[in-house]
Amino acid sequence: MELQKQFEAIQSNFDAESLPLRKNALEAFEKLGIPSTKHEEWKYTNIKAKLKPDFTVATTNSQVNAAVKNYIASLPPYAFRLIFLNGIFHSELSIVPDIKGVTVCNLQEAFEHHTALTEKHFGKLVNLSDEHFAALNTAFVADGAFIHVQKNVVVNEPIYIQYFFTATDVNAFAQTRNLVILEDGASLQIAEDFRNASNISVQYNHVAEMYVGSNAQLDVVKLQMEVSNAIGVHTLESKVERNGRFSVATITFSSPNTGTHNVLIRNNVTSRLVGEGAHADFAGLYFGKENALIDNHILVDHVAPNCTSNQLYKGVLNQESTGVFNGKIFVKPDAQKTNAFQSSKALLLSKEASINSKPQLEIFADDVKCSHGAAIGQLDENSLFYLMARGVSKQEATQILTYAFAHEVVDHVHSKPIRQFLCDKLKDELQLNF
Amino acid sequence: MLSIKNLNVAISGKEILKDFNLEIKPGEVHAIMGPNGTGKSTLAATLAGKEDYEVLSGEVIFNDKNLLEMEADERAREGVFLAFQYPVEIPGVSTTNFMKAAVNAKRKHNGLEPLDAKDFLKLMNEKSALVEIKREFLSRSINEGFSGGEKKRNEIFQMAMLEPSLCVLDETDSGLDIDALRIVANGVNKLRDANRSFLVITHYQRLLNYIVPDYVHVMFGGRIVKSGGKELALKLEAEGYDWVKEEVMIG
Ligand SMILES: Nc1ncnc2c1ncn2[C@@H]1O[C@H](COP(=O)(O)OP(=O)(O)OP(=O)(O)O)[C@@H](O)[C@H]1O
Ligand SMILES: [Mg+2]
Repeated sequence: MELQKQFEAIQSNFDAESLPLRKNALEAFEKLGIPSTKHEEWKYTNIKAKLKPDFTVATTNSQVNAAVKNYIASLPPYAFRLIFLNGIFHSELSIVPDIKGVTVCNLQEAFEHHTALTEKHFGKLVNLSDEHFAALNTAFVADGAFIHVQKNVVVNEPIYIQYFFTATDVNAFAQTRNLVILEDGASLQIAEDFRNASNISVQYNHVAEMYVGSNAQLDVVKLQMEVSNAIGVHTLESKVERNGRFSVATITFSSPNTGTHNVLIRNNVTSRLVGEGAHADFAGLYFGKENALIDNHILVDHVAPNCTSNQLYKGVLNQESTGVFNGKIFVKPDAQKTNAFQSSKALLLSKEASINSKPQLEIFADDVKCSHGAAIGQLDENSLFYLMARGVSKQEATQILTYAFAHEVVDHVHSKPIRQFLCDKLKDELQLNF
Repeated sequence: MLSIKNLNVAISGKEILKDFNLEIKPGEVHAIMGPNGTGKSTLAATLAGKEDYEVLSGEVIFNDKNLLEMEADERAREGVFLAFQYPVEIPGVSTTNFMKAAVNAKRKHNGLEPLDAKDFLKLMNEKSALVEIKREFLSRSINEGFSGGEKKRNEIFQMAMLEPSLCVLDETDSGLDIDALRIVANGVNKLRDANRSFLVITHYQRLLNYIVPDYVHVMFGGRIVKSGGKELALKLEAEGYDWVKEEVMIG
């Protein structure tokens, strides 16, 4: 169905306040369309060929299935979690924190009860005129997570936001969304976790807007570990005020665990450092298998002086998988004393695997320190021999060295419980039992 | 235990070992000395199964099995151990985790269940005490930032953990201070028994005061040119290699 018609069919469900913005977004998307590889930012990622042309964005089915139940049963019972099925909040499955000074609810409720906050923040960080998928999402998104942390409130336990996709229709294109607002001095850790809980290939489009106030600290982990058989586009836009700290770690494992594999993951992760002394940390770890394509586009925008940023990305590519890395560092004229660092490394474990890696530095201030490095390689032969000379098989030695390569990124994750969780995941993925 | 016959090995097309012969019986300690670049490490790495070393001809029989047909990992599980002249640094994996993988790989090979956490810890405690290595080194990344001597001690620790039947020590004494030399040698001596054999490559007679060899061989130009008892090492220490070279020329 034509998008305009899809919109008309569901617009009565949307909050009236958001309608003008949604209509703008729809108009913007109709102009942009789905990008082809002619678009510079999509040169290596042919999403147009992968996405079903007749996609439907309205959420139709959000039944809890066995895969969802099993997964939830395996979670630690105490963890704060917000559960979404095809983008729709399920309060009965969630454990919503009840902490003084912290508002956690779904977007629908936020639009209704926290209108001042949603009006000020929803759709304000995303760039609707250039960002195809952010525009589409803004027009159609029905629900999502809303978190607001008041001034100087520190939340010690991480909040897991879990998105399950249970589509039965291959044309479904789920739209999911998070809005996170930290006032000055607040602190929070969140994990966004995405899972295909259906037995078909799913399509989803996730957008998050995150506001980090002065001296606030927000640590985010994006977990894309159970996405075999998925086309997923992620957009994260963050804005960091004076002396605020923002960190994001994006972890993508394209583990083949079902029959057919069809993995395309695109991450657009952006941080704008608008207050003096702000810091942004980007870490990424991706494992590609079979014909997976994993694309990370990062942008750090140094707007204010004396800010620091760090990008550390590592990829492990097997079989015919492809990695794409594009790391942008923009330093605006006022951003003197910027210190920005970027590193992208990829291990190619097969002859057919490949990576397209591109640093992109645009510097308009003169007193800055920027460095970037990219390395692509195989496992070190001497290290392999050393491990094998102690009786470890070639396969296990490869796994151990891959673990060693990848672990640096996990070490980079600020939240201790999430770091431990990731460390275990990494061992599982590599079938290591130490 | 080990029988090397007419072994010829080339690296990048260059012949390094030439008609090399050596017999080692169970429980024996053989020392190999010789000038730099004569092929001692090449011999050691060939025994351990380094892939890019090209065996042109000859045979190596270890405990009645053809060693040259096995990959490096299989040789290790069969009981060959090489203490590297230059141990490799591997950031991101602790020696403890590495040893867990290695010990259990060997146990599996021998049809045994993997060690549980408690028994593994017990083994670690026992062996780290034997070679007097501090436990904190074992929880650090393998050899990362270790001093030369610490790396060598870690090699001997790993050897103790794996209980090999043939131990090849490639200049394990180089870089050790006097106390560390004694500790490492003590560790080796405690591992000596009637079934375990040692091939000790060294430049210094001093090590052989601690690890007393049954045989001393002099290697020159890719082969053993002279063999004798421990007194041969003393003579080399006192007189250098010139007289051996002359004998070889005349021969
Ligand atoms: N990868 C290589 N490519 C080419 N030549 C090599 C390679 N490795 C070793 N060689 C050569 O092989 C010869 C023997 O080297 P080897 O390391 O076995 O000597 P060594 O007897 O152990 O010497 P040292 O006492 O200095 O340790 C040397 O001439 C060395 O340069
Ligand atoms: Mg040597």
